[in-house]
Amino acid sequence: MGKLIRTYLPFAANELKSQLAYRGAFYIWAFISLFGSFISYFLWMAIYGNSESGMIGGLSKNEMVVYIFMVYVTSSMVSIAISTWVGYDVVEGRVAMNLIKPIDYRASLIARALGNMIYRLLVPGIFIWIGLELYKVFVLGMAPVSVTTLLAYLLSVLMSFLIYVLFDFCFGMVAFFTTYIFGLRMAKSALLSFLTGQLIPISLFPLWAQEVFEFLPFSSMVYTPVMVYLGKYAGSELAWALGKQVIWVVLLYVLGSIIWKQVTKRLVVLGG
Amino acid sequence: MIEVKNVSKEFVSPKKYPGLKGAIKGLFSNEKVAKVAVDDISFSIAKGEIVGYIGSNGAGKSTTIKMMTGILTPTRGECLVDGINPSKSRKKNAQNIGVVFGQRTQLWWDLPLSESYTILKEIYDIPDDLYASQMEFLNNVLELRDFFDKPVRTLSLGQRMRADLGAALLHNPKVLYLDEPTIGLDLVVKDNIRKAIKEINEKYQTTVILTTHDIGDIEELCSRIIIIDEGKKIYDGTLDHLKDTYGSKRKVVMEVKNTEAVKALDLVGALHISEENSNEACFTAELDEAKNLFTITFDKHRLQAPQILSAVMEVTEVTDIKLQETELAEIVKEIYHHGTTTGTAEAGGGN
Repeated sequence: MGKLIRTYLPFAANELKSQLAYRGAFYIWAFISLFGSFISYFLWMAIYGNSESGMIGGLSKNEMVVYIFMVYVTSSMVSIAISTWVGYDVVEGRVAMNLIKPIDYRASLIARALGNMIYRLLVPGIFIWIGLELYKVFVLGMAPVSVTTLLAYLLSVLMSFLIYVLFDFCFGMVAFFTTYIFGLRMAKSALLSFLTGQLIPISLFPLWAQEVFEFLPFSSMVYTPVMVYLGKYAGSELAWALGKQVIWVVLLYVLGSIIWKQVTKRLVVLGG
Repeated sequence: MIEVKNVSKEFVSPKKYPGLKGAIKGLFSNEKVAKVAVDDISFSIAKGEIVGYIGSNGAGKSTTIKMMTGILTPTRGECLVDGINPSKSRKKNAQNIGVVFGQRTQLWWDLPLSESYTILKEIYDIPDDLYASQMEFLNNVLELRDFFDKPVRTLSLGQRMRADLGAALLHNPKVLYLDEPTIGLDLVVKDNIRKAIKEINEKYQTTVILTTHDIGDIEELCSRIIIIDEGKKIYDGTLDHLKDTYGSKRKVVMEVKNTEAVKALDLVGALHISEENSNEACFTAELDEAKNLFTITFDKHRLQAPQILSAVMEVTEVTDIKLQETELAEIVKEIYHHGTTTGTAEAGGGN
C-alpha cells in the first residue's frame, strides 16, 4: 500500500502543479459554469414563484437553492473527464510511453484525476461552499450543515468521484477503437447532465424514470452526494445510498479491468 | 538476454473502399484486411551486446521493438527478455528495460526535467543512494546540469533527447531499446549520444538494441546487425561480415596528367588478369577527360589498389589519388532494393 501511494502520488501532485500552471483556463471554465448555475437559480426561483404548493419534487424553494449550488460544487469536483486524457494519449501515441513503465495506466489516470479533484475542491469548491453556507444561515435562515452530514457528504463525494472516473475510463476505451472520441464525448456530457441530476433533480422525473435511474450508476455521481448534503436520506436510506455507491465502484472497477485487458491484447499503437 | 522465437505480428483492419459510395459500403461490409508487419522472426541477443536493428521505413522494426517491450502482443510466437515474457508480465518486464523512442518523449511536458526524474525515481522504486550515484554518472555522460531545472517543453531537441536517454537509464535497466535515438540531431549531439551509449554499455554491460536510419550510428556502435525487410529477417551477423559479403567493391579515383596515355593503356594485360577469371569483369574503368579523373571500381578480393596504381603510373603521372571503400549506406541500400532476392543468404557469425 505504501509503495502504491509512493508510486502514484507524484501523478496527483503533478496534476495539481500543472493545474496551477494553467490557472487562467481554469478560472474561465469556473466562471462560465458558475454563470450557468445562476441561470438555473433564477429559472427555478421563477418557477417557485408561480407554484402553489411551494414544494417541487420534494424540495422546498430554499432547498432548491442549496441543490443548485451544491450540484455545481459537487460536479466540478467529481466530473474529471479522464476520457479526454485517454483520447489525447491515443491520438498522440502516448499510450505506448505509459506502457513501457512499470505502472498501471488506469491507476495513473485516477491519481492524476485525484490531483485535479483536490485542486477543484480548493478552488472554487470551498469558496462557493462557504458563500452558500453563509447565505443559507443569514439570508434564508436555515440551520448550518451538521458535521456528520458534512462527513457523509464528503465520503459520498469521494465515491462519486471514483464512480465517475472509473466509468469515464471505460468510456475512454472507445478511443482505442475509433481513435477519435470528441463527438462522442459531447454526447456523453449532454446525456450525463440529465442522468446525474445535474440539470434537474432526479426526484422531478416521473416515478418510472426515477426507478430506471436507480439502476444506473449516473445518479450516484452527483445526485446522491447532494441529497446526502440536503439531509434527504436518514438512517438505513443513507446506508443504502452509500452502499449502492460502493457497489458501483466495485462493478465499474471490474468492468474497466476486463475492457483494459481486451484493449491491450489487440492494441494498435499509432505511428512510430 | 533476449530470445525472440518465431514471432509474427498481424494487424487486422476493416477493409476500406474508395469514395463516398465506398464509405457507405464500408458500414455494412464486414471484410477485414490483415497486414503482416512482422513475419516469423527469430533471433537471440546476449548480455552486453549492442545490436543494430535496421530496415527501410515500415519494415517492421518498431513493431518488433514494441513486442519486446510488451506494448504489443505478438500474433504468434513469443519473446523472452531476461526470462520474462513482456506481453504477459508487462510491468515486471518494464522494471528491467529502458526505452527511448526518438520521436516521442516519456518526460512530462509541462514539468521541469528534475520533476520528471523525481517521478521516475518513485515509479521505478530507486533507492536514494543508487539514484544519487546514477544521477552523477548520467550528468557526466549526458551533461544534463545546464537544463535540469527547465520545463521539458522549453528544451531543444538535442537536450530533450539527452534527457530522454537519461530517463530511460535512471533505473539502470538490463536492456535498453533505442528507436531512432539520433533522429534530427546535429553532428555534435549525435556524437555525444553515441558516446554516452557506448559508455553505458561498457560500464554496466547493458544490452542495447538500436534501430536507426543513420549508418553512422551503426558503424560507431554496433558489433552486430540484424536487417529486416517487409517483416522478414534478411541478415543477421557482424558488420564486417556484411561488408565482406556485400561490399567487396572498392573504388580508386586518380587524377592523371595525360588522359591520352590512359586511354591507350591495356589494363587487363597490365594487371595480368588470368583468363578463367576474366569471364566476369573484376574491374570497371571510367575516364573523365574534362576533369582528368580516372576511376576504377574493382573487386578487392581479386585486385589490390597498388597493382592498379603502378600500372597507371607506368604510363602517366598521377597527381592525386583517392581510395574509397563501398559505404555501408550503399550496401544497405542495395539490400533494401533486392532484399529478399539476393540477401536471403543467411550469414553466419552472429553471436
